[in-house]
Amino acid sequence: MISILRRKNDTQPTRRLCIQVLRHNPADAASVPHLQAFEIAEAEGMTLFIALNEIRATQDPSLQFDFVCRAGICGSCAMLIDGRPGLACRTLTRDLGTTITLAPLPFFELIGDLSVNTGKWMRGTSERLQTWIHSSAQTDLDALEAPMEPELAEAIYELDRCIECGCCIAGCGTAQMREKFVGAVGLNKIARFRLDPRDDRSNDDFYELIGDDDGVFGCMSLLGCHDVCPKQLPLQTQIAYLRRKMAVIGLA
Amino acid sequence: MALIDNNGSHELLGADASGQLVIHAPTTAPLRQPPRKSRWPARLDMLQSASGLFLALFLMAHMFFVSSILISHDAFYTVARFFEGAYFLGKPYPILVSGVVSIILAVFIGHAWLAMRKFPAGYRQYRAFVTHKNSLRHGDTSLWWLQIWTGFALFFMATIHLYDMLTQPALIGPYESADRVWTGNMWPLYLMLLFAAELHASVGLYRLAIKWGWFTAATPNRSRRRLRWAKHGISAFFITLGLVTLAAYVDLGRAHAERAGERYVPTYLNAPHTAGKH
Amino acid sequence: MDVIHTDVLVIGGGLAGLRAALGARKRGQKVIILSLVPPKRSHSAAAQGGMQASLGNTAKGAGDNEDIHFEDTVRGSDWGADQEVARMFVHTAPKAVRELAAWGVPWNRVQAGPRDVIIDSQRVTLTEPEAAHGLITARDFGGTKKWRTCYVSDGTGHAMLYAVSDRTIAEGIPVHERMEAVSLIHDGERCYGAIVRNLISGKLLAYVARATCIATGGFGRIYQSTTNAVINEGIGAAIALETGVVPLANMEAVQFHPTAIFPAGILVTEGCRGDGGLLRDVDGHRFMPDYEPEKKELASRDVVSRRMEAHIRSGKGASNRFGEHLWLDITLLGEAHINGKLREVKEICQHFLGIDPAKQWIPVRPAQHYSMGGIRTDAHGAARGLSGLFACGEAACWDLHGFNRLGGNSVAETVVAGMIVGEAIADFCATPEGDMHVSTALVRDCREQENARFADIATSRGQESASVLMQRMQAIMSEKVGIVRNGDDLTVAVDELKNLLLRSRQIGLRSSAPGANPELTTAWRVQKMLKLALCVAYGALQRSESRGAHFREDYPRRDDAQWLKRTLAFWRDPEQRVPTLEYENLDVRHMELPPGWRG
Repeated sequence: MISILRRKNDTQPTRRLCIQVLRHNPADAASVPHLQAFEIAEAEGMTLFIALNEIRATQDPSLQFDFVCRAGICGSCAMLIDGRPGLACRTLTRDLGTTITLAPLPFFELIGDLSVNTGKWMRGTSERLQTWIHSSAQTDLDALEAPMEPELAEAIYELDRCIECGCCIAGCGTAQMREKFVGAVGLNKIARFRLDPRDDRSNDDFYELIGDDDGVFGCMSLLGCHDVCPKQLPLQTQIAYLRRKMAVIGLA
Repeated sequence: MALIDNNGSHELLGADASGQLVIHAPTTAPLRQPPRKSRWPARLDMLQSASGLFLALFLMAHMFFVSSILISHDAFYTVARFFEGAYFLGKPYPILVSGVVSIILAVFIGHAWLAMRKFPAGYRQYRAFVTHKNSLRHGDTSLWWLQIWTGFALFFMATIHLYDMLTQPALIGPYESADRVWTGNMWPLYLMLLFAAELHASVGLYRLAIKWGWFTAATPNRSRRRLRWAKHGISAFFITLGLVTLAAYVDLGRAHAERAGERYVPTYLNAPHTAGKH
Repeated sequence: MDVIHTDVLVIGGGLAGLRAALGARKRGQKVIILSLVPPKRSHSAAAQGGMQASLGNTAKGAGDNEDIHFEDTVRGSDWGADQEVARMFVHTAPKAVRELAAWGVPWNRVQAGPRDVIIDSQRVTLTEPEAAHGLITARDFGGTKKWRTCYVSDGTGHAMLYAVSDRTIAEGIPVHERMEAVSLIHDGERCYGAIVRNLISGKLLAYVARATCIATGGFGRIYQSTTNAVINEGIGAAIALETGVVPLANMEAVQFHPTAIFPAGILVTEGCRGDGGLLRDVDGHRFMPDYEPEKKELASRDVVSRRMEAHIRSGKGASNRFGEHLWLDITLLGEAHINGKLREVKEICQHFLGIDPAKQWIPVRPAQHYSMGGIRTDAHGAARGLSGLFACGEAACWDLHGFNRLGGNSVAETVVAGMIVGEAIADFCATPEGDMHVSTALVRDCREQENARFADIATSRGQESASVLMQRMQAIMSEKVGIVRNGDDLTVAVDELKNLLLRSRQIGLRSSAPGANPELTTAWRVQKMLKLALCVAYGALQRSESRGAHFREDYPRRDDAQWLKRTLAFWRDPEQRVPTLEYENLDVRHMELPPGWRG
């Protein structure tokens, strides 16, 4: 049990990494999108969070990127890592080649370099899909809480784990073509509130929110969302389930 | 405390921050009921799936019927006459085939129209998707690209075939079909059509199962692995069957090239009294 | 000039700020929230293990009530807490849990019947009562007499933050994201809002508000090894300090969490130990019972952290190429439990260590975790020194935690403080006191002053590098103002920090990108963070006793005769190099639970 830290690289020489960053500063009229390469020495256990901060501290202080929790739970640092959406903070460089290409998430408004405005889009989606508990019941805070089956609570949490990182949108072929598509993040939220008995809304109400080609019927089941989701949410089954429920409304 | 409208800050900040819009408390009932959302998107989505399923099942059945040539010429002859109603109505009515073909053609056009709604609309969307597909390198996303192109190809190739069958329903038989394949130079089209149709159908069936959540296993990933395996199996089986069948027709067509145009007479009718005809 | 008017300005979009905003909004006030990041990305999301509230639904929580929670909290604080606040807190916490339940938090629930748990490395079968089936359940946490920590797997903070944030969206409260308050607009007596920098465009705006509430969280990033998010730089507390009239209290009271993964410093929840996980040393020996025979791994966080450091110093640390550490062993909990109730821990171990915690031990070492100190407020969140200024959550010191916070009391504090302070803000706005006469000249002056500060840095030809100063400060804090402190180290630390503060006025930039240049942002922030670091180090140097998380080798005892008081740090003159410290006594006559043995 003693040497349980993985030490794959102990005997190997330190790698030189070439990190290519797609750079663009929309605030600067003279800026054109271009790839800029940075060379750094790889360190043990190095994540892209560590690598990018080292580049900013030692090579280019103007480099823009977003990290908050740096532990894979807040969803700030989603970017295209060698073309695929992922959370940079928990991506270890040892799992990548010596040349690593980083680009901002597509689809979202670019703030600069690797920083995109996912928050603005997510808030808009929340407002559009009304992602909150709709209840007419008055809660008495001094009374015993209403019971809930333990399995149901866990099932709700399973869907509540979404961190709004935007990877599913960046991994979605439909969203690339159709900007108004709610994407897996939106559909998963509807599935989450639909499951929640504290929410009074009916399938008819949910149909009003997602019953069109910008909603659940726009999904072409390409499953990019499911495969890139850093939280491994069951998007594939949840969207299929919603589609069936919403289709039934269409028949009524 | 009177609420002051927040528009001032909205204008000042523009796109710099999100959530400037004042939306009203949801707990109170909405003041005006917006018009109910159309049910058509749901129906069209189901129609697209249903028409696709119908066409895919038809395609499979069709492949089995056509491949009856591998059993014997008579077997195929029998199948062909069966669809002309010869065994219920006493004599073959090729018009029945035309009828079936018209229905298939109608479903086919309907399916194409429904599916086309999902195609990239315009060059911008086309570019966006291609860039995305190339960067993502993701199986299911690339499969959809295959789906688009095979669908696009089918629109032309299947239409030609269907038109043929619509206008010449009587010319379905071992010699007739084989002559069409070889002497009529249709085999290159059928070869391409075979691949396009079988790939499109198997990917389509796979997508249908994913889309509606059929045949699920314990975990989504396991059910997908299973479905993908089934998809590969279906593709391989029908393409193999199709190639062998097509080869049989080519073979027969070449052998029959000199007497092209001759109608096939099954062996059970080709009994001793007709032997002298030649 | 861009001026935005509102009734209430909440600075900070974490749980405390959002909940306070909701409270004020519900009372009809117009509210705007400023947030450095989209609110759902706030560090509140990182609270994993749970929230304490004495619901007493479980077998091991039976008989729990507010009094026991109160005693645990006060004992845990080493009698540094304000007992009036603690009383109010324990009374409100169960209501907060229920409110959150109504807003959609999927609290884990009691499953009636027998279930196997691990207690003190033994498998024990507990039988949950039939009547409690489906009610909110709880797990064990350090320093508590009952199982009181309500939880949602190990994503409690996430679930709470999403529910509360969704609530603010439902209520239509605007959140101006990527906005940083850079100074308070005030005249030395009343606060009128804040000057705010847009972190996208780099432009300064003025937000004029009748009430301003700072809820910007802690300042863990002044340390090198911290579980805190990169945005926890304490700027909210720093701008309050820079008013010269608002004190920061008990800044030397800094909590170190026993189990941060080594060396990344990412938190693995106390729930690991609460659920039965063990700490082991280089020999695989479970060492905590040797030091703390009664509470073992579940002693207060300050105690466990100190014991771990001592154990490493005694030569029993395991080591890897980054240095020495200990092991957290949760393999005995079993794969099913880890996959269900500790899945964030599992993901963190997979991604950052490449190990499976169901099979392998986790390398851990204590890291900075929580700031008990902050903006001194009264029991209802009104800041001392400026009328119209409020603070709540980790940024504030209304003093629930004293010198050590119990695990599970911080997310609880965020929402409870939000409820209480939100009401207080609404009350304030409803009274004549809440009216204001603000001079446009004052607003303009404040903005011009900040503009000049940024321009000075941007155009400075200084030779100092912001990131170098930042790293040096963080290293000093972790090495010399850490878990175990002594007078000599602290003196050196204070001197070095003073020196860094001087050097920080000579920072020059290497880049000049239009928009919000990140280098400029860092340069501006490091000056503020150094002041906070000095408040911590200087406060620690002066406090010649050990209390809670503040442990002095040279004064290892708690000294109630001398030090039953709260440190107040002022920065009255911008040119001064160490804070002015004042002290306020904690009045034993008003204590429900007088100082005693901590247990």
